[in-house]
Amino acid sequence: MTYLGQRSDTAEFRRRFRWPALFVVLVFCILIGRMFQLQVIQGADYQEAARENIIRRVTLATTRGIVRDSQGRVLASSRPSYNVYLVPLVRVERKYRCLVETESWAKLIDYMHLTAEERQRLEKKIHEMCGELFQKFEEQKKERNKKPVHVPQVLVREDVSRDIVATLETHESELRGVEVVSVPVRYYPYGDLSAHMLGYMAEIDRDMLSRLRSFGYIEGDRIGAAGVERGWESYLRGIRGWEKVIVDARNNRHAGPEAERLLDEPRRLDPVPGRDLRLTVDIELVEAIDKAMRGQIAGSAVVVDVRTGRILALYSKPSFDPNVLSGGMGKQAIRDAFRRLYADPLLPTLDKTMSGSYPPGSTFKPFSALAGLKARDDQGRKLLDPMRTIQCRGFITYGKRMFRCTHVHGPMNLRDAITESCNVYFYQLGDMVGLDALAKVALDYGFGAKTGLGVNPESHGRIPTMQWYATHFKGQFRGGFTLNAAIGQGATTVSVLQLALSYAALANGGTLYQPQLVRAIETSDGAVVQDFPPRLKRRIEIDPEHHRLILSGLYGVVNDERGTAYRERIPGVDVAGKTGTAQTSHRGVHGEDQSKIWYFNRDHAWFAGFSPFHSPEIAFAVLIEHGGVGGKAAAPVAFAAAKEYQRLVASRMVPKSPQGKPAVPWRKKGAP
Amino acid sequence: MAEEGSALMSILNQEEGGFGERIDWALFIAVALLAVIGVVNLYSATSVYTLSRADMYVSQVYFLAAGTALAILVTVIDYRHFERIAYPLYVAGLMTLVLVLALGKGIRGSSRWINLGGFGFQPSEFTKIWLILALAKYFHNSPRSEGPKLLRELTVPALLTAIPCFLVLKQPDLGTALIHGLIFLAIASLQRIKLSSLFLLGAFTVMSLPLFWLYGMKDYQKERITSFLSPENDITGAGYHAYHARIAIGNGGFLGQGFAKGSQNQYYFLPDQYSDFPFSVLAEDWGFVGSLVLLSLYAFLVLWALRIASQAKDRFGAVVAVGVGALLFWHSVFNIGMVSGLLPVVGVTLPLLSYGGSSLLTIMLGLGLLMNVSIRRPHLAQLYSRRLVFVR
Repeated sequence: MTYLGQRSDTAEFRRRFRWPALFVVLVFCILIGRMFQLQVIQGADYQEAARENIIRRVTLATTRGIVRDSQGRVLASSRPSYNVYLVPLVRVERKYRCLVETESWAKLIDYMHLTAEERQRLEKKIHEMCGELFQKFEEQKKERNKKPVHVPQVLVREDVSRDIVATLETHESELRGVEVVSVPVRYYPYGDLSAHMLGYMAEIDRDMLSRLRSFGYIEGDRIGAAGVERGWESYLRGIRGWEKVIVDARNNRHAGPEAERLLDEPRRLDPVPGRDLRLTVDIELVEAIDKAMRGQIAGSAVVVDVRTGRILALYSKPSFDPNVLSGGMGKQAIRDAFRRLYADPLLPTLDKTMSGSYPPGSTFKPFSALAGLKARDDQGRKLLDPMRTIQCRGFITYGKRMFRCTHVHGPMNLRDAITESCNVYFYQLGDMVGLDALAKVALDYGFGAKTGLGVNPESHGRIPTMQWYATHFKGQFRGGFTLNAAIGQGATTVSVLQLALSYAALANGGTLYQPQLVRAIETSDGAVVQDFPPRLKRRIEIDPEHHRLILSGLYGVVNDERGTAYRERIPGVDVAGKTGTAQTSHRGVHGEDQSKIWYFNRDHAWFAGFSPFHSPEIAFAVLIEHGGVGGKAAAPVAFAAAKEYQRLVASRMVPKSPQGKPAVPWRKKGAP
Repeated sequence: MAEEGSALMSILNQEEGGFGERIDWALFIAVALLAVIGVVNLYSATSVYTLSRADMYVSQVYFLAAGTALAILVTVIDYRHFERIAYPLYVAGLMTLVLVLALGKGIRGSSRWINLGGFGFQPSEFTKIWLILALAKYFHNSPRSEGPKLLRELTVPALLTAIPCFLVLKQPDLGTALIHGLIFLAIASLQRIKLSSLFLLGAFTVMSLPLFWLYGMKDYQKERITSFLSPENDITGAGYHAYHARIAIGNGGFLGQGFAKGSQNQYYFLPDQYSDFPFSVLAEDWGFVGSLVLLSLYAFLVLWALRIASQAKDRFGAVVAVGVGALLFWHSVFNIGMVSGLLPVVGVTLPLLSYGGSSLLTIMLGLGLLMNVSIRRPHLAQLYSRRLVFVR
């Protein structure tokens, strides 16, 4: 240890420690100052930021209201749909591997009975997805980005049966990465029966979303797309709630007192369930109409309550299954269904009760008759004597044209002309009173204007006037147009709903009601929130004598041997009405299937009427598109509906109210 | 401990004078406090994990025990023996660095580790100590000159530093290389250097920085610095860690959220909270009070090291003490500066709080050397008497 003595002197260093020490003190003072700034001065801000990091508001789903018919039968409700998802397990090793554990995959195939086709499709999809994932991993590696890569899930199958769900849940431990997610789906127990009236649900599109975002709609929401579902969306929908939850950086949720300590008030807003709707419709009546319509390809029917204007049945054929369109069987099924529906020449998506308008044919004649009875000449004398007969020779000539009748009826008075549907009588009547007088009565009875039911888009229909011809066909008006208008042909079109309501007004002596489809709004536990009383649209002045005359004509149609619907009458069913056979002008589309054109050239068959004849309760209008003769095709459907109504009223044994009027068929349990 | 203690005493007894009061209790207590805080904090940091990471704090205790044993061993041997083997140690350290480059395992794009039978061993941590010893030896033996030195007289120590710096940068590990350089600067600051030489050095540094930016740095390193300069631009990318670490600190408030209750930590917003961000965990759990205590402890340790250096028996001891002080200083300042958003994100561990065997053993090795120098400083009386003699 000789060198120990030669150690260098430290004196040179000793004087130089003061500056470093000062530097050290200064630096630590800066750090402490920074801590003071972060933790004490800005502490509250950072605490807020920390809370924002972990507190997430999750929306709480609300339940959509239930739609019931007048007897409380559920027409539309929600049910859970179980969708099975698969999250592939991704392993990042030296070479990327992405796989569903072969064992679980095999088991999943077994439990879900996946077809070979499904298997191939899924395996391909997973393979593709993994390719994309690995690309992302590679990019991340390059960018040294630490964001976690989101592994998407693969939809295995939508709306699996409860059996399969139970099996999957039992074997949960063996099935890694398999998830069963329950989503609410609208459920229509009656399927395509009155699908047009109820409508269906569709995922909200971008346009609509931009308009409705302020009402609380978000991406992926389903919104009522037609019928009651759309018209009453705001009542049915309910209001979403929210709840604050603790979510960590990996998107896992945490519960328990330790996590809840961090939540600030208010923590939760309960969702408000949607309102239930009680419709005026009786689904049993609709079922009866459907049954009666079995032989027909396309058509529609409306039954209304004569005394209130409440709709008892709305029926449009062909129909569609709203369960499929609402997503109950998966998204692919929705697309397929729409493709099929839009390709169908019978227009199944069209609500033929109100969205379409048709020439009414002879069902229009009672209104022409009323116009004739009201008509006065310049001196105020009656133009038409209803008892005076007109000779029907099967046609008349007007100008250079010949206007045909169905038969050679011989001498006809007004009542007989309605009963036997004589065109010649009405041609002459029309010629006598003129187009505008015909139109005035028709407009009074609600034709040519929307009824305001507010469910589906409504057609105005068309009641031609001189004004209308002047604007649309300037200078082309011919007197023959008036003749056609008098028998409900030519430019005249009506919707089935309009016709039913106008016959209701005929039946009740001139009271035109605002049609009603929703009887009441109720809470989910059955309490009535709002009840809708019948609403009068207008009272139509009608001479009781005229009224009696028209009604007796309508009575004869069914009950007189010469009546056009006499042969189809059902004994014991008290009905009065009018048949109609409306000529159609089919406008061919290029490239159309020629073998089917004959169908579209057939006449529309109509029957409109009311029942029972004395003290009427219901009015109805039935249209069989291209059904041929009204008496043969449409009348049986109307009679079947009237018969079913009688049966229903009898079976429910609705007691007569003290005033002697029958009470409303629908009555709440426990209500006085 | 009792046996060890008595063995220690018997060895110390052979040295000059009474030893009992020679053990640097202030240093010992400060280190012990930090070690305890470190383990407790590590428990909080890893309390969110299950399985292997959950008992990190147990491994940390083992590492601490091993480190303490190493420190005692180092303390007991007179540091003059280390002076003798300083250069061989230095060369051996360099060789381990070369070895790392040859067969290192990649972790996040850089290879820093050698696998030693299950243990990851990070040579670049230890190189700092070997560098301190080598520099100490150089300055110890360099001839004493009157007046300020010229810059070129620092060429050899600069080279001694540059070689490991270069090898570490190659890994690449910017933080550790930086620490090497800064330790050198701290030690060199003990020398008096001509003012003009300093200016020259400054000018050279400023000019070489852009070149270094263009050619010397990896993309991710650049990204860290750009994201530091404009943190709001990129909260989800490279700035993510720094941003959430800062929120965690602020979330602590004055008194803290309570032990193992910090939400930023508990809900995984602090990645690597056990290695790079233990300070945010501590600051979130214990608030400003906790950070103040910890910063004070570090400040005390560094100042104490300077004090030991100033009283060291010889130049070697002084340089070693300054080197260890600088090691503690730069590590703690860089780490805390980084997590509090004052400095860009460079992966530098926090002495005694970060999890990791190599880091912990290195720090304990350094603290052992510091204690060694402290114990062997001339007795105060001796010091004063010598000074008296000198003055006379």
